[in-house]
Formats: sequence, structure tokens, C-alpha cells
Amino acid sequence: MPPANSSAESRRLLTPATIPAALEAQAAGARLLAGGTWLMRSALRDEPLTGAFASLHAIPALSRLDLTPEAAEIGAAVTHARLAEALAGIPELAPLAVAAGASANPGVRRAATLGGNLCATEFPAADLACALLALEADVDLERLSGPGRVYMAQFLARREALLPGALVAGVRIPRRAGRLGAHVRLPLRKAGDYPVAIVSLTAEVADGRLSRPVIAVGSVEPVARRWAELEAALDGVSLDPAAGASAAAGLLSSFSPREGIEAPGWYRAEVLPALVRRALAALEASA
Amino acid sequence: MIRLRVNGEPLALDLDPMTPLVDLLRRDLGLTGAKAVCREGFCGACTVHVDGEPRLACLTPAGLVDGREVVTIEGLGRNAPPSVAPVDDAALPTALQRAMLEEDAVQCGMCFPGMVMALAPVLEAEPSMDREAIRRAMTGNLCRCTGYERILDAAVLALRPQQEAAE
Ligand SMILES: Cc1cc2nc3c(=O)[nH]c(=O)nc-3n(C[C@H](O)[C@H](O)[C@H](O)COP(=O)(O)OP(=O)(O)OC[C@H]3O[C@@H](n4cnc5c(N)ncnc54)[C@H](O)[C@@H]3O)c2cc1C
Repeated sequence: MPPANSSAESRRLLTPATIPAALEAQAAGARLLAGGTWLMRSALRDEPLTGAFASLHAIPALSRLDLTPEAAEIGAAVTHARLAEALAGIPELAPLAVAAGASANPGVRRAATLGGNLCATEFPAADLACALLALEADVDLERLSGPGRVYMAQFLARREALLPGALVAGVRIPRRAGRLGAHVRLPLRKAGDYPVAIVSLTAEVADGRLSRPVIAVGSVEPVARRWAELEAALDGVSLDPAAGASAAAGLLSSFSPREGIEAPGWYRAEVLPALVRRALAALEASA
Repeated sequence: MIRLRVNGEPLALDLDPMTPLVDLLRRDLGLTGAKAVCREGFCGACTVHVDGEPRLACLTPAGLVDGREVVTIEGLGRNAPPSVAPVDDAALPTALQRAMLEEDAVQCGMCFPGMVMALAPVLEAEPSMDREAIRRAMTGNLCRCTGYERILDAAVLALRPQQEAAE
């Protein structure tokens, strides 16, 4: 039997060709639709899917993927699959390439977009959001009143307030030569599941030492965030995965991990030292 | 009005644009090869091709396939050039389907159309794939009979002629 939502009457799908047209549609009550992989599961979350929708797929500006020596500028409608392919082999963007290529499964990755991953506010296990935190990306927002840019950390912390009346146009990731990165996730099965916990990390590595590490943790709390205590502990120390894991084990008390059907909260925090060890080992291997 | 082609046939349908594509296919067109099993993108049993790419029909709103070409398991290979899918057996048009039969890979049949639809274009695009790469391509297709190894055997068998020719 089709779920209840497919019998809903008078749902409309608009296909604006420009960002202003999408914002107008949104202002008139339409919900933005990107890949649909979150929205189309609304019925399973007991959220009725009613009214009008504005698809973002026909807006060329949202599908841009520009790589310059200074930055990667990626439109919100770029899919996980396209990201993984386009960023493969670029060392400083590795966290995003791995996140995009390892999340979900191939069918979801062909549809789900970067913008959808950032804007599915109730989804705590977003791989791209976590990788973009570690990469210190900026988020470009568009509103009818004009464009704006916010730091990724700010966006994630305040997106419930930022998103009404706004559209995420894309992200800008600064490319810093010499910076390396890793993205490590723990699904319950080897692949195809939501990650129980995610560690995304970037740092400079010189003479075997880490400098200015940026460490993001996803899926442990409801929203991904940086692990400031561990960043401070690892800054300037030698790149030693086992020592990094010990440091992480001593700094777990700052987390308030979420309970979930696939894993209890304590487990999500307990696996973090192992993920930190794996992330540092990946960094070591790429140095 | 949603205009699309399904298995080569042009159609114009007046329906709710947020209807999942799998319901359009099964309920409105009677094409029951794609299965609506989990309806949340985890099992892959509803996989069909949209413009040649495997897509999850449970998560695809019908309105997003407006103007596009949809192929279901019922139409797989039938409109492809013979070089890609030699049509020597009208009932089993692709090498992958023939290999599935040869390896006796089908168990209950629930996952199977989705497995074939997910694998066919991937194998075609990358005939040099090894067993591990094929396994990764199957990440989003669950077989509740746990018949994965035989399905893999069949996919490996389907690629063998091309891999031998390349050696
Ligand atoms: C089986 C399955 C497994 C998954 N596993 C993972 C995983 O392991 N890791 C992971 O990271 N993700 C995973 N995902 C994907 C994730 O759960 C979301 O479904 C996905 O990221 C949403 O992207 P979308 O483009 O489909 O968004 P949609 O469903 O189209 O939209 C999601 C929300 O974002 C809003 N929105 C979309 N684009 C914009 C924009 N540009 N500006 C403002 N608002 C916007 C929409 O209005 C909606 O509220 C999985 C999904 C499925 C189905």
C-alpha cells in the first residue's frame, strides 16, 4: 500500500529557474525540494507532506562546482556522488570527498544534495555537515533581502533561526596548501548504515607534528560540532594515533551524546577515541 | 501533467507530483517489477533507471521525472544497442540477467529486480570491475535471503567475456 502521503490532494511542484524565483515561491509557502531523500521519508516520521514544493534542480547556479587554487565553491544542489567524483585525490579536501563517497549508499548518493544534507535539521548523522566543519567552510545564504555568508559552525548552531525565508546557495571551502584531512565514520554494518559517530579532522603536518588541528564530531550529539578541547590538546604535538586516542579518551566528558535506536548515547562517545586514532592514522598515511 | 517515457513509451500522466515514482510505476502503470519494500532508501528493491542512472523510485517524486526517460526491469535492455545488450534471448536481454539464471542466483525474488537495475549500468560503465568493487556497488541493495555471494558470482560471470577479451 502506498503511504498516506501519496494520496494527499493538491500538492504542487514548482521548478523555478532562478534563485529569486525560488525565494519568491518559498515566501508564498512552498517548501524547497532538493534530492528529496529526506522529504520523501516524511510520512515515516509522521510528518504530512502537503502543499507546494519548489524544486531546486533547474537552477544552474546551485549546481556549480568551481575549484580554484584558493577555494572550492560548491552549489547546494551538487549531489554526494558528483562531489565524491570531483574531489577525489585532492588531499586538502579529503574529508568532504570521503564523506560524500562513503555516506548512505550509491542510490542515495546519486540524489541527495549538499544543501539537503546541511538543511535536514533533524538529521544528526550528516556526514557532509561534519566534514565541512573540519574544513572551516562558509555557507552562502540567499534571502529576498540579499545574500549573506556565515561560518559553518555558526550556521549549524543557528540554522533553525537562519533557514526560514532563506535558501542555502552553496559553500565556500578555503584551500590551504599543506593542510591534510581525514573523515572517519562508524556505521553498524560495514557500509550502507547511518554512522553511529563521525570524526572529521584537518591539520598541518610538519616534521611529524600536528599544527592547528580542526576536529569535528558528528552524530554523537544532535548537531555536529567542533571538539575544542581535543584541538587544543593536539596542537603542536607529534602525530601519534595512539597518543591522540588517549588524549581523546580523557576528554569525553564534554559530550552529551544522544540516545537512538541504533546505538545508546554512551556508546557513541566511547567509540570516539578509536575514531580519532583512525583519523590520525589516515592523516599519517597521507602525509 | 507529467510527461515522461517509460520503457520507451511516451506517457502524459495527470497525478500528484509528489507521488513516489515507485507508486506511479506499480499502481498507475502496472509495472510491478520495482518493489516498494522499505520506502526509505535502505533496501534498493525499487531501483529503476532515470536517464540511464540507477535511482531509488521510493524517494523520487514523480514530478522530478518530468521530461525524463525511465526504464524498469520490465524494459531493461530491450531498447539498448546489441553491442551493449545482445538480444539473443528475448526473455533475458542482458548478459547480467542470463548470468543470474546460470548461477541460479534468484531466491525469493524480492530484491532481485533492484539488484539487476543497480548493477547493470555500473557493470556496463566499468567492465573491469572486480568482485570487491561490485560488492561496493551493491551496498544499497539488501537481500533478505542473504544470497549475496551467488549474486556476486553472477555479476562476475557476466563480466567475464569482456574481461577475457581485454586480457
Ligand atoms: C537510506 C539513507 C541513508 C542515508 N545515510 C546517510 C549517511 O550515512 N550520511 C549522510 O550524511 N546522509 C545520509 N543520508 C542522507 C540524509 O539523510 C538526507 O536524506 C540528505 O542529505 C538530504 O538531502 P536531499 O538533497 O535529498 O534533501 P531534501 O530531502 O530535498 O531536503 C531536505 C531538507 O532540506 C531543505 N533544503 C534542501 N536544500 C535546501 C537549500 N539549498 N536551501 C535551504 N533548504 C534546503 C528541504 O526543504 C528539506 O527541509 C541518507 C539517506 C537515506 C535515504
